Amino acid sequence: MNLNTNLKAENTYDAIVIGSGISGGWAAKELTEKGLKVLMLERGMNIEHITGYETAMKNPWDFKHAGKLTEEQKRTHPVQKRDYPYSEANEKWWVNDLECPYTEDKRFDWYRGFHVGGKSLMWGRQSYRLSDHNFEDNAKDGHGNDWPVRYAELSPWYDYAERFAGISGSKENWSTCPDGEFLPPMDLNIVEKSVKARIEEHYKRERIMMIGRVANLTVPHKGRGNCQYRNLCSRGCPFGAYFSTQSSTLPAAMATKRLTVRPYSIVNHIIYDKDTKKAKGVMVIDAETNKTMEFYAKIVFVNGSTLGSTFILLNSTSDAHPNGLGNSSGQLGHNLMDHHFRCGASGEAEGFDDKYTYGRRANGIYVPRYQNVGNDKRDYLRGFGYQGGASRVNWQDDVAELSFGSGLKEKMTKPGKWSMGLGGFGEMLPYYENKVYIDKTKKDKWGQPVLAIDCEYKENEKKMRVDMMNDAAEMLEKAGMKNIRTYDNGCFPGMAIHEMGTARMGNDPKTSVLNKWNQMHEVSNVFVTDGACMPSIACQNPSLTFMALTARAADYAVKELKKNNI
Amino acid sequence: MHRREALRNVAFLLGGAISATTMGVLFESFTLPENEKNFVSFSLEDEKILAEFADIIVPTTKSSAGAKAAGLGKFIPMMMKDCYPATMQTSFANGFKELQAKSMADFKKNYLALTTAEKTKLMVDLRAMAIAQKASKSEDNKDLVYFFTTARDLTLLGYYSSEIGCTKAREYVLIPGRYDGSAPLKPGQKSWATG
Repeated sequence: MNLNTNLKAENTYDAIVIGSGISGGWAAKELTEKGLKVLMLERGMNIEHITGYETAMKNPWDFKHAGKLTEEQKRTHPVQKRDYPYSEANEKWWVNDLECPYTEDKRFDWYRGFHVGGKSLMWGRQSYRLSDHNFEDNAKDGHGNDWPVRYAELSPWYDYAERFAGISGSKENWSTCPDGEFLPPMDLNIVEKSVKARIEEHYKRERIMMIGRVANLTVPHKGRGNCQYRNLCSRGCPFGAYFSTQSSTLPAAMATKRLTVRPYSIVNHIIYDKDTKKAKGVMVIDAETNKTMEFYAKIVFVNGSTLGSTFILLNSTSDAHPNGLGNSSGQLGHNLMDHHFRCGASGEAEGFDDKYTYGRRANGIYVPRYQNVGNDKRDYLRGFGYQGGASRVNWQDDVAELSFGSGLKEKMTKPGKWSMGLGGFGEMLPYYENKVYIDKTKKDKWGQPVLAIDCEYKENEKKMRVDMMNDAAEMLEKAGMKNIRTYDNGCFPGMAIHEMGTARMGNDPKTSVLNKWNQMHEVSNVFVTDGACMPSIACQNPSLTFMALTARAADYAVKELKKNNI
Repeated sequence: MHRREALRNVAFLLGGAISATTMGVLFESFTLPENEKNFVSFSLEDEKILAEFADIIVPTTKSSAGAKAAGLGKFIPMMMKDCYPATMQTSFANGFKELQAKSMADFKKNYLALTTAEKTKLMVDLRAMAIAQKASKSEDNKDLVYFFTTARDLTLLGYYSSEIGCTKAREYVLIPGRYDGSAPLKPGQKSWATG
């Protein structure tokens, strides 16, 4: 091999971060701020903050197809089009499925965005802490392996993540959903206030409802503007009012002058050095030229999204690691989880006809988990939370009538009824047989093998969904809503875009891939701090936990590096 | 999560006035095979007819101009070509021809020569036909009914996302800057264009 030593020096950093989404951005920020020279590799295009959000200030009439997808977009995005996130206004965030195929042994909707910022640009921004209930559930009921971390250890890192990211919310003193370091909460609207009061009174505050805890700023924060109540977050925010890599972690990392970002860099595998028993660096395919190249570092943070990261680890085989890097436990690729949702209830609120809303709040309400806690016992394990809200919708009673003319126009330009909805988000248990593996019979655009996904919900999730509908209907009824309808629109893993697991943390190297510091048991200079690390998923939206775990792991990694333990 | 509300909100904002078929096509649905793109085409004359047709669905009123002024004559065929599978394009195009044939049969005039009263009468028939077909589930007038319901859906979609629809018929604020969840509803207040 002809090794250009100059090139090797040029391509050597203190740390490599694979991925630039929520957790990758945090890794880059923390590692550079602690003095390391960092290379952040992103497989997709660059997106500049503000100028890269071309549709952010567009009006509805500026879009050719009124926001809808063309047949051509549906052809190139056969997976992304399965649900609403992919639309005319934000089409550039979503991956061309034909270029990046995968195998569905069972249906799994894999939503992917390949660009600097990753899904931090498109995320739902709901930000909740896990609680000790969540960290202890695996040990208590025997599903999955015990978390190697408890809430007390993670709590200061949640504080740290919230203070930087800017999370607005209210303190509720609720055991399954701990309070944090919040910016002022957004307002509940008049119907939500009434529903909250009636639910909390009826259930004697054994169930509560609060405004969503959301990574949207309610006041200016660290040089970023506050939310303008446009509810167009998914196009990118020109005010920097929600947390994203671009608005938050990337500027902080760049300010250190120790960060290099390389877009169009697909990490094919991590290079393992059998002599040092550590990772030496990564092999990268340039997505534009197809050329391969190597980069080297003392530590590697893997933040390529849950399944992206696990693909890289499974694809990093060597004599010492024939089944994927750090996979002698056999757990790599297993225990894939996602939240199940798309069921709940909605109803109409009467008596508020003299009230309307001003502004478009990019947030809703949250009912934190109350099932299987204290005296509440269910015929399934774990539980769910509700997200939803009230809004005064436009007039909408005409599907069957097919009316037309000035009467229809008149009706369509008047505020309609108030309605209130509650949609459950349920925990899915970790099952060893829900797995991903590498399928060598297919190739992506760059000649890489693809991931195969074999994952399904089981009885525990199905039982829970019945309660997700019925509890919602019951609460809406107690809150005085009328014409209550329950719904279950069906759900497949992947749809919640909260895929987690497949490289779980644990204390025992025989049954887990990562230790309590998100460090590989078997390869001490590799850290995985995205959703892949999760031994269970609770029912809360997960990104805040990735932020806290990443900051904590980076702190540990740099300390170990300085002690020459890595 | 409020990503997740988005689709429902779009549906709400358009009113439940949009048919299930259109919701299916525009929000999830079908993929057109590579060799079947742009299956149908529409002439300038066709666009004029579609504009007149749409203007019966959303006419000019005191508050605001109607569908023709909002550009629906071009919007409808453009959406049909870009966003609908070939089978639906064909059905729509057949129904469109049947509309013109019905105009000749009923009034001995081509559609563009009809008075507003005649165009309205024709649409009353189409609506009755659509409701009857739904009840009987028969295949009678399948294409004509498909044309009517789809043109109506696209008119509502296009009109209420047009500048006239958003800013004149409804009220639109690009940057609200704040949220008030208990704002008094003023007499005659229009609904918001976006949610």
